[in-house]
Amino acid sequence: MTLNLAFKLRSLLAARGFNVVMTRDSDSATEPNTPNPLTLDDRAGIANHAHPVACLLLHATASGNGVHLYSSELDPTSGEPSANPWLTGQAPWVVQSQRLQKQLGTALTRGNIPLVMSRASVRPVDSLTCPALVVELAPDGSDADSLNDASYQQRVAEALATALVFWKTQAQPPDRLPETSATPPPAPAGARP
Amino acid sequence: MISRHQRILFWVLIGCILAMAGFLFWERERARDRVSSLADATPIDAPYTNTESITLDLANDSDGSITATTRQIALPDEATARARALLEHLIAEYALPGSPHPLQSGAAVDDVFLLPLPVNGHAIDTSTNPATTGATPTIPVTDPNAIKPQSPGGELAVINLRSNFVNAHPSGVEVETLTLQSIIGTLHANLPQIEQIRFLVDGQPRETLAGHADLLRTYPSRDTTVQATVPDATP
Repeated sequence: MTLNLAFKLRSLLAARGFNVVMTRDSDSATEPNTPNPLTLDDRAGIANHAHPVACLLLHATASGNGVHLYSSELDPTSGEPSANPWLTGQAPWVVQSQRLQKQLGTALTRGNIPLVMSRASVRPVDSLTCPALVVELAPDGSDADSLNDASYQQRVAEALATALVFWKTQAQPPDRLPETSATPPPAPAGARP
Repeated sequence: MISRHQRILFWVLIGCILAMAGFLFWERERARDRVSSLADATPIDAPYTNTESITLDLANDSDGSITATTRQIALPDEATARARALLEHLIAEYALPGSPHPLQSGAAVDDVFLLPLPVNGHAIDTSTNPATTGATPTIPVTDPNAIKPQSPGGELAVINLRSNFVNAHPSGVEVETLTLQSIIGTLHANLPQIEQIRFLVDGQPRETLAGHADLLRTYPSRDTTVQATVPDATP
């Protein structure tokens, strides 16, 4: 289900000139019996190395309704070193992530998709060095089967893709990072735990 | 004329019937003993009967909100027992039919431990300026990663959840986050001395509640009452 949404989003973004990096394109990559299964930290590393304009962590749930958008619960930092930089890598990007959250939320609202926006501590979002959001797809209304509805997934993917096109021109590195660390904005990485 | 082997079969069947009847009677006695032992209402703790007004931060899955709700509940005076009773009342609300954030009924919290911050403790130094609080750490904190209090007297709450509650918790970013925020907000509203909160499951650290919400980090105690944020549709 989540992969279906990811594939739809990838197609829409590729058609708009994005280079999309997915951390997996099948369920086998994360299964425990797979040799060297991808961990959450591995996937955060893939996303960080791509220097994307946006990182989206796609999830699905049968509870609630509409789309849930979550940004990191970390407080934005002003440059002081952290005790564990890997677990707080998102801190300088929190303001950017919240701007992205607002833009995606606006696009989803325009698409008449119920929306919940908040902050959450969900691994590995705190380790991502890019504007990062957790996108959770919930049923459309009270019908749990609507999660598998291709037209519903398409509506959500189109709203996200539309917002990301606008976001691509606005993404900026956070103030405290050197200019070279995030200047090339080639692609959003669809990281899906 | 009844043949010999039919007579043998008849008596074997009679024997089986009697054996089964005896077995069923024995099982009935065992079940009765088990139920009566569970129904033993001998009190372990001293009774507390004075009800008081407390605030529960209740979650709603449909709009992702947390709403402060007042209840009249009798709670113990001792802080750790009070925190545990608060959380049990909170989870019991979610187990009611028609709950907007349905969770499995049953005991969810094994223990709550309240530790003074920093974890190496505070002592009152009466030789200091009386204008100040006089609280100084008993052991100098040299560890830069040590959990520090925002004010003297601040406490770290360690909530030891039961694995049967965690294993039965619905999976999803929203539903798991709302459970944690509801617990954090309820403790913040009723036990203001708690500044930070950590979670264990059966006494052990666990990565996530049900696959999503992080259980390894230390959460700041804060007001979690939020309404669903809906952005303006105009650019």
